[in-house]
Amino acid sequence: MLQRSLRMLCLLLVASLLAVTPFVQAQAQVVVDFYYPTAVDGPITQTIQEYATKFEAMHPNIKINPVYTGSYTQTRDTIRTELAAQDVIVDVAVMLATDLTSFVEEETIVPAQQFIDRMENGEAFVANFFEAFLANCRDEEGTIWSVPFQRSTPILYYNADLFRAEGVEVPRNVNELIEVAQKLHTPERAGLLMPVAGGFPIWLYQSFAAGFGQPLIEADPAKVYFNSDASLAAVEFLTKLGMPTSEGGFGVGPMGGSVWGDTPTAFTSGQAAMIYHTTGSLTNILRNATFEVGVAFLPSGLPNENGEGYAAPTGGGNLYIFAATEPEVQEAAWLWVEFLASDEVQSDWGARTGYVAATRGAWEIDPLKTLVEEKPQYLVARNQLAHAYKEFDSYRSIDVQLIINNALSSIISGNVPLSQAKATLDAAQAQIDSLLAEYR
Amino acid sequence: MPKTAFQRVFPYLLVLPTFVFVALFTLYPVTRTVTDSLYKPARRAADPSVFVFLENYADLFDSTHYLGARFVQILGNTFAFTLATVVFSVPLAFLFALLLNRQLRGTGFLRFAIFYPALLPLIGAASIWAFFYSDTIGLFNTILRGFGLTGVNWLGDPNVVLYAIVLLNIWKQSSYCMIFYLAGLQNIPRDIYEAAQLDGAGWFYQLRYMTVPLLRRTTLFVVLITVTYSFQTVEQLQVLNQGNPADRGNLLLYFIFQSIGERRNWGYVNAMTVVLVLLLLAFTLTNFLLFERRDDDKA
Repeated sequence: MLQRSLRMLCLLLVASLLAVTPFVQAQAQVVVDFYYPTAVDGPITQTIQEYATKFEAMHPNIKINPVYTGSYTQTRDTIRTELAAQDVIVDVAVMLATDLTSFVEEETIVPAQQFIDRMENGEAFVANFFEAFLANCRDEEGTIWSVPFQRSTPILYYNADLFRAEGVEVPRNVNELIEVAQKLHTPERAGLLMPVAGGFPIWLYQSFAAGFGQPLIEADPAKVYFNSDASLAAVEFLTKLGMPTSEGGFGVGPMGGSVWGDTPTAFTSGQAAMIYHTTGSLTNILRNATFEVGVAFLPSGLPNENGEGYAAPTGGGNLYIFAATEPEVQEAAWLWVEFLASDEVQSDWGARTGYVAATRGAWEIDPLKTLVEEKPQYLVARNQLAHAYKEFDSYRSIDVQLIINNALSSIISGNVPLSQAKATLDAAQAQIDSLLAEYR
Repeated sequence: MPKTAFQRVFPYLLVLPTFVFVALFTLYPVTRTVTDSLYKPARRAADPSVFVFLENYADLFDSTHYLGARFVQILGNTFAFTLATVVFSVPLAFLFALLLNRQLRGTGFLRFAIFYPALLPLIGAASIWAFFYSDTIGLFNTILRGFGLTGVNWLGDPNVVLYAIVLLNIWKQSSYCMIFYLAGLQNIPRDIYEAAQLDGAGWFYQLRYMTVPLLRRTTLFVVLITVTYSFQTVEQLQVLNQGNPADRGNLLLYFIFQSIGERRNWGYVNAMTVVLVLLLLAFTLTNFLLFERRDDDKA
């Protein structure tokens, strides 16, 4: 009896194996390893998995293997380690838009251009992206290497109820910004919080340097303008925000600036009349504020109202495909990149996270379309893109950014007095130039 | 009786598994670190690195070099940080242990309260302290402002930041070291104190001439781990200030971690690691020679 049922079981097992085998063979799947970091709150891994499932339904022969790799830095370091060990697992990844120059020069990524050129509607595909975001996707010759995915830009948040009660207008340039901030500043409430105390003052600093007339970087990634007059003016401005008026400052916030992560919380709890922060915080701020939140362009650097001197950097991450990947997997990875950059996904991703949807078409369809009708604040960031600059990215970008952040931090925090600001910028510029000499 | 071949080989066979792991995960990486510290990576990732001998080390101590300009300051911070941690947390740990060693009402609760910081994962503890230190919404500044004082920019003021980080480390480390002192105290036989009391030795006399000398080995151990841990501080910096502002709150291992991101810094990263290891090795050896030797002499 027992023997019979055992034999039966074996037979069943063999039969089921036979039944499965052709199925497995027919699948012959291409597996794409996708690394992504996150820098915003929310169920990001769940959302990405949803996208992967949807994509796999459209392309049954491709399997997406999404790997959450922590922060941007951790993602880049993981990939660098794989590259160094010559054991590359990653096929496609979200990395900082500013990682581009390093990876192009190391020849570890393949240009998106080669896939775009083969598309039927390649030109339309490129034209659909906002130009400001593409600035960090191209090399000097104009070849596109990466595709925008989760992009952002800083904006001015203000307490609209407070503005109405005090009868002040939204500032359009830096002079008005100081005027309004000083009027609304009390011992309990900062007039303006500028989050430059944390690890990357360079991001917001860039908007002032560009606004005052000289962007930190232009088309040439081997040339950095850190000790220009505009740069010095920008550093002085940022430092004075926290200096008491008795010492010649504006006295509208804490000395050294505020900390990045604390700033939205301080704003929503009424401890600041205005803050500079990323669009990525918009969803969170709208959810937590008990007052009407106003959103505006970063005030212009030059005291005029014609839109001149408006300047904001962009930020966030792009999609990169790696050179070590086999050609057929690269093809599959490109389909995945195309899918993530589609209007449908961008619209959904933007509405869920607060990132600025990178394609024009994404704003014409739901869910973003309805969201914008309900909360017009989301539209401000998109409109500001017309005045947005390329985010800082040079050769030896990581080191150059560390040099700049360090110099900025030492002046803004008061470690070095303003009288020595120029000398500090000069010393930093000399270090940058020595690093970049071999690239000129 | 002469040993058979197997008997001679057998001990080595027993050691082999451990040796393989040590070789793979300790000896090999150490050797690689030392050799890699003598090379500069080439501009293209695929090209071979260039042998530069000790140039990476020389650059680290060159104040016009982009890393050297920061390295010496950060090395100084690390020494100050370690010294302050040892000077405060070791005596504190000893005092806590003395306090908890007495059979008093509520000792259990007190023990838990004092040991609590050591139980918390450092990242979690640092997150709590990040809230204490926050400039606008932080606990410390809210209290200060409640008394009508101006708040302190704990993590933003270049003259304050290192103290703020040391304070957290003392809080954490004194709690951890207390456990070793407590264990040490409970291992000292009661009867020698009774004998001392019969001889008329007072409390302070017992502490100074009996407890402290008897715990000398514990103190040595505690100082050793505190120095080693402090030299390798990374976690709280990641949470609190990322080494800012202007490197006044930066420490060596965190700086190494910060520099890893750029492939072409890997020569420097290895050189800095070698410096770190050499410093720790020098400290450990000095300690060993000074203290262990003396014990042997006595014995």
